[in-house]
Amino acid sequence: MRSDRVRLILSLALLVAAVVAMLLPGGRPASGLAKLFSRVKLGLDLSGGVRLEYRVDIEKGVENPSAVVDDVWTVLRNRLDSAGYTEAVIRKSFRENNSFIIVEIPDATDTTAAEKLVGSTGLLWFGQAIDERTSDPMINPDDVNLATREGAQWYPDKDGKKWYLIKKEINNRKDLVLSGPRISEAVPTIDQKGVANYVVSFTLDRQFVEVFKNITKELYVPEQVLNSGTTQYQIALKKRLAIVLDDKVQFVGFVVSPIEDGKGQIRGNFTFDEAKELAAILRSGALPARLEKTTASLVSPLLGKDVLDQSLRAGIIGAVLVMVYMLVFYGIMGIVAIIGIFYALIIIFGFLAGTGAILTLPGIAGIIFTIGTLVDGNIVIYERIKEEIRSGKTTKAAIEVAFSRSFWTLFDANLTTIIAALFLYYFGTGTIKGFAVTTIVGIFSAMFMNLVFSKFLLDAVSAGIRVRKTGGAQ
Amino acid sequence: MKIDFVGKRYYFIALSIVLIAVSLISFFTKGFNFGLEFIGGSEMVVKTSQNMTVAQVREKISSLAPEFAKARIIEVHALGQAEEKTFSIVVAPRDEKGNLRVYSADEKAELSQKVEQALNAKVVSFNEVSGDAANEIKNLTWKAVVFTLLGILVYVALRFKFAFGVGAVLALVHDVIITLGFFSIFGIEMNIAAIAALLTLVGYSVNDTIIVFDRIREFGRKFKGRDMASVVNDSINSVIIRTINTSLTTFFTVLMLLLFSTGSIKSFAFGMTIGVVVGTYSSIFIASPVVIKWVKSL
Repeated sequence: MRSDRVRLILSLALLVAAVVAMLLPGGRPASGLAKLFSRVKLGLDLSGGVRLEYRVDIEKGVENPSAVVDDVWTVLRNRLDSAGYTEAVIRKSFRENNSFIIVEIPDATDTTAAEKLVGSTGLLWFGQAIDERTSDPMINPDDVNLATREGAQWYPDKDGKKWYLIKKEINNRKDLVLSGPRISEAVPTIDQKGVANYVVSFTLDRQFVEVFKNITKELYVPEQVLNSGTTQYQIALKKRLAIVLDDKVQFVGFVVSPIEDGKGQIRGNFTFDEAKELAAILRSGALPARLEKTTASLVSPLLGKDVLDQSLRAGIIGAVLVMVYMLVFYGIMGIVAIIGIFYALIIIFGFLAGTGAILTLPGIAGIIFTIGTLVDGNIVIYERIKEEIRSGKTTKAAIEVAFSRSFWTLFDANLTTIIAALFLYYFGTGTIKGFAVTTIVGIFSAMFMNLVFSKFLLDAVSAGIRVRKTGGAQ
Repeated sequence: MKIDFVGKRYYFIALSIVLIAVSLISFFTKGFNFGLEFIGGSEMVVKTSQNMTVAQVREKISSLAPEFAKARIIEVHALGQAEEKTFSIVVAPRDEKGNLRVYSADEKAELSQKVEQALNAKVVSFNEVSGDAANEIKNLTWKAVVFTLLGILVYVALRFKFAFGVGAVLALVHDVIITLGFFSIFGIEMNIAAIAALLTLVGYSVNDTIIVFDRIREFGRKFKGRDMASVVNDSINSVIIRTINTSLTTFFTVLMLLLFSTGSIKSFAFGMTIGVVVGTYSSIFIASPVVIKWVKSL
């Protein structure tokens, strides 16, 4: 039948896509069958990850130290979430009057990025750059004296190759200081001047817009000055705006028009990931206390390796029981159901490998649920086929009728489940999102299996379908 | 053979009301046994030069104190220290009321000594840690629940009739409350795995209910003008085999998990096992009576 050929081609195409996604390079080192799953990222609970411990440096005399630790926790959570580390966990720990923050991050390969993200205090301020050097000014007594004379300080740029002399009070005016402003929005955007570079565009919170406007007015240099004679240009060089984060100069430049809307950009040849992380730091605000790294280590699965092994064994026993049950109850149709289970599993793991979504225990729950739905769909169809055969139809005709009748049954049942899962995805965080993802992908693949591939397989084995004429359904 | 499910519906409704009432009472009196993922606990870091696995550590310490049986044990590879093995053992000690408590200094010294003996290891630190799972469910607020239920209600109402939507949502709420009730009554640990089971139950319950509804819709159209109660009863009778088969297959898997797993997975298996039974029951005995009551014909 032509329609069966279309079904076969569609099913095989999806299967090939999933297997290709699983076999792409870049997974964990593995051998044999495990290679198939090496690209699927596992969460902390299943495979462990990196554990960073920081001491929270709380100044003496702070009234409520535990509130400071809570604030640190919230800032870090926002930072990790907006940089995409939604599966990371943060714990507070207390010992001997010291407070600690423990950050655990799955997928151990990129700790440096994570450390940068967590370790940054995130304190952003704006200043006036009045001079610059290309070698360390701190070892040159003249430069040190210059700083004292000007009431300014030397700061390195983020690559440590240039140093700028920066005043916190713009033109020595005490009312023109902008330190640690709240940022209402910060996003990585493509640099319109550079090629394939990213900048971070930020918007200051409303209460800081006025100060920022006055600062940029004060430092405003008309463009023609920049192109004109040297004396004027030398004066303008002392009026450059500096953006400093974590005591590192992020940006120094001329203000060519006063900024009235509190919007600005930090440029610096960022890659997308760097820009994303910087934006996350800006958005989440400054940490209320400094963090001092105490230990970095790798941790084994949080659920316990022994627990996981046991559960895996139990899961396999359960799956085998399901398969035996299907074989006993539905004979050759049971084989189609078993093929279906493997088919759906490959599609789900292919999707996880292809998208880099992280699999955690709730994600596995979603997969188990999918298999349940798939078997359920099979049973709905098979019971229908049995009914139709008992009512006197030929096997081929019974399969046709059963599929056309079951289509909307399964469509409605599965779509309602997907709707519920979509809401979970929207409202959930971390592992709950993970559950929603595997459920949505799983139900789609189960639906595809049941409505497309199963039909082809059942037509192919229709000669072998035997049904008792009595008993069972009405 | 036809069973009169519909005729006995008031008994089942009464049973469900009792179960829900008992569950609600337990929520407010007994409460839940939250796991250390939520409430935190005390973390002991031990170092040993012996080559041990997590399973061996668990076996050796599980009888030291009741809370050690449910300890979370993780192997930690401190970067740069290869010869020694480090384990993090997190336990959640409780007071008589079942609330988390903090060990006294004496207790810490005593437990440290016991653990050092049992493992032939050195306790490096012993301090309090917070839970980390609260963040996972911070957005699962009433708003999220209401929107999810509304989403289901609207879809089912559009595809079937309004009363079917109400039936599906009632059955769902019924299932979640009763399953939570079992968690509360039996003092099973509420952790992320338990939340996962509850979420799975939501999908399972809805799926199951819709399959029964679909048959009612089909029979209702086929036998126009017939009494709704008898249409529903025939529908239930004709899908009961598939319902039993589906439930049994899922039941096998989760029962195996319940029997053979330990730790936090047990909460998942418990929730699923109860959920499958309650979800199947409600799709037949709770969702359908709503339809009989409200829908005269299709």
